[in-house]
Amino acid sequence: MSTMSTRSAWRALHYSAKRRAFQPSTPYRCFSCTSRAQEQKPADRMTHFGFTNVPESEKETRVGAVFSSVAASYDRMNDLMSLGIHRLWKDHFVRSLNPGACLPAMTADQRGWNILDIAGGTGDIAFRMLDHATNVNHDMETRVTISDINADMLAEGRKRSLDTPYYNTPRLDFVEANAEHMPHIPDASVDLYTVVFGIRNFTDKQAALNEAYRVLKPGGVFACMEFSKVDNPVLDGIYKRWNFSAIPLIGQVVAGDRDSYQYLVESIERFPSQEEFRGMIQKAGFMIPGQGFENLTGGIAAIHKGIKPIVKA
Amino acid sequence: MAYLARNLPKRVFTPSLTQTIRQTRSISTTVFQSTPTTRTTQLTPTNQPRNPLPHRTYHSALHARLPDHSYTNSQTAILTSALAHVPAHGFSATALTLGARDAGFLDVSVQLLPRGEFDLILFWLASRRGLLRGKVEEGGLFRRIAAEKGKDVHELSVEERVRGLLLERLRMNAEVKDVWQDALAQMSLLANIPISLTELHALASDILTLSGDDAVDAAWYTRRLAVSAIYASAEVVMTRDPTPDLVETAAFVERRFEDRKALADKLTGIGQCAGFGWNTAIGLGRSWGLKI
Repeated sequence: MSTMSTRSAWRALHYSAKRRAFQPSTPYRCFSCTSRAQEQKPADRMTHFGFTNVPESEKETRVGAVFSSVAASYDRMNDLMSLGIHRLWKDHFVRSLNPGACLPAMTADQRGWNILDIAGGTGDIAFRMLDHATNVNHDMETRVTISDINADMLAEGRKRSLDTPYYNTPRLDFVEANAEHMPHIPDASVDLYTVVFGIRNFTDKQAALNEAYRVLKPGGVFACMEFSKVDNPVLDGIYKRWNFSAIPLIGQVVAGDRDSYQYLVESIERFPSQEEFRGMIQKAGFMIPGQGFENLTGGIAAIHKGIKPIVKA
Repeated sequence: MAYLARNLPKRVFTPSLTQTIRQTRSISTTVFQSTPTTRTTQLTPTNQPRNPLPHRTYHSALHARLPDHSYTNSQTAILTSALAHVPAHGFSATALTLGARDAGFLDVSVQLLPRGEFDLILFWLASRRGLLRGKVEEGGLFRRIAAEKGKDVHELSVEERVRGLLLERLRMNAEVKDVWQDALAQMSLLANIPISLTELHALASDILTLSGDDAVDAAWYTRRLAVSAIYASAEVVMTRDPTPDLVETAAFVERRFEDRKALADKLTGIGQCAGFGWNTAIGLGRSWGLKI
């Protein structure tokens, strides 16, 4: 305990990675004048970064800085912030998807699922899905590609994969990519696309949904778990108080980084409601099963699903 | 009135009045614009799920009939192919996955059915209910029932029609008889009970409506309750019925209808007895000079 507090105090004394990244890098460089002038488009579209508005081109760097900063303490912080409930949500998410082929394959196409886990840097969901496929459905062929925009989060995932039986097997793969544009993944090649607590941070969510639609096979499933809006006003009051008072404090004490966790709660607040996000999924072309979302713990988080329709020739 | 007002020529307004209206408008517009909007994003109508039928809270023979189920085309495709696997694999995830494969979907596409196996059971119930209605509307079913009893179709009483339809619906279950206990277990799970009861009521209501029952009093409720109870208990008997043509189940249904009749007769008898007793008491009181 004492080592932990010294470490966090030490960190708090230093500049965090995030603050450094906020500073504009080299305001004037003689040789790159022209290229920089071209980059600065006159009408740069704005997007939100927590409660502040930033140009779209900048959000990616800023979010990158946040997650580079929290990568090491990610799991411990998740446990503290959600009081351990995030593990139940993730287990439920994976169990409801039931990944892995439980029946003998009739065609080569049915041999194991091809799963793409977006923003799954630390491998939380990927390892759960592989475990489920192996232990529950006895499927040794299902593969997961972990894709994340942040190299630090991927490094954390690689480190953790050492303790799993999937390390250095063809069943697990790490890719650093932007989910809004993934040219290395061919059209109609993925069975299941998952994004868990990630889509909130995307600059252009609709572009990411369209890209998901492109890479999924017809009949493939888009599944997303994300923080959402609480229905019950009493629970909502407690939840908001916890979010805005406790979480930045925990972030400061445990991870030595208040601003990153302030961003986290602000981005949760800015994320669209269940119904609006369902509309976005539909807009990308997906079919919606039933009401389209499942609320967890009164709507603190919600699971959204969409199925790519089969076009009959 | 509004139509007239719209067509009035503009010059009926005095210039001063028009001026006042303009001012009011400009003020109200500024006020409206200066008000900060609390909700930044609003739901567009296209985001709302389409609901073509208004919710109805009462029964009427004049209402258009609700569809048997609310599954989409893709869901129906998977469920229909999955039903072919039910006799072998039961109402299970395996049957659903095989159905999805047959319909040209992937294994993962069973996510299209949020309730999983229970959706398969519901689809079975709803589609069989639709088939029963189809058989009646086609006209052949009642003629067959009448022929079995050696009567003309018009001579069939409502009671006999109800009995015939109920047995016909039970016979539709014959092919899934061996796996039906699992389905009953699924239906009796706490979360599934409300939907299961709604479906049972829909079946009882359909059977009575198709039989020509036109009660609009308390009997509307008691009859649906009676038919539901008989059908639900007969289903349980059916799962243990070894005879190929469900003879034992048919006998069971006959006995339950007799019971129902006996019970109804007894209740009527008790009612009559109480009525006579009451009248006698009043008459006795009056003969003693009580002013009642």
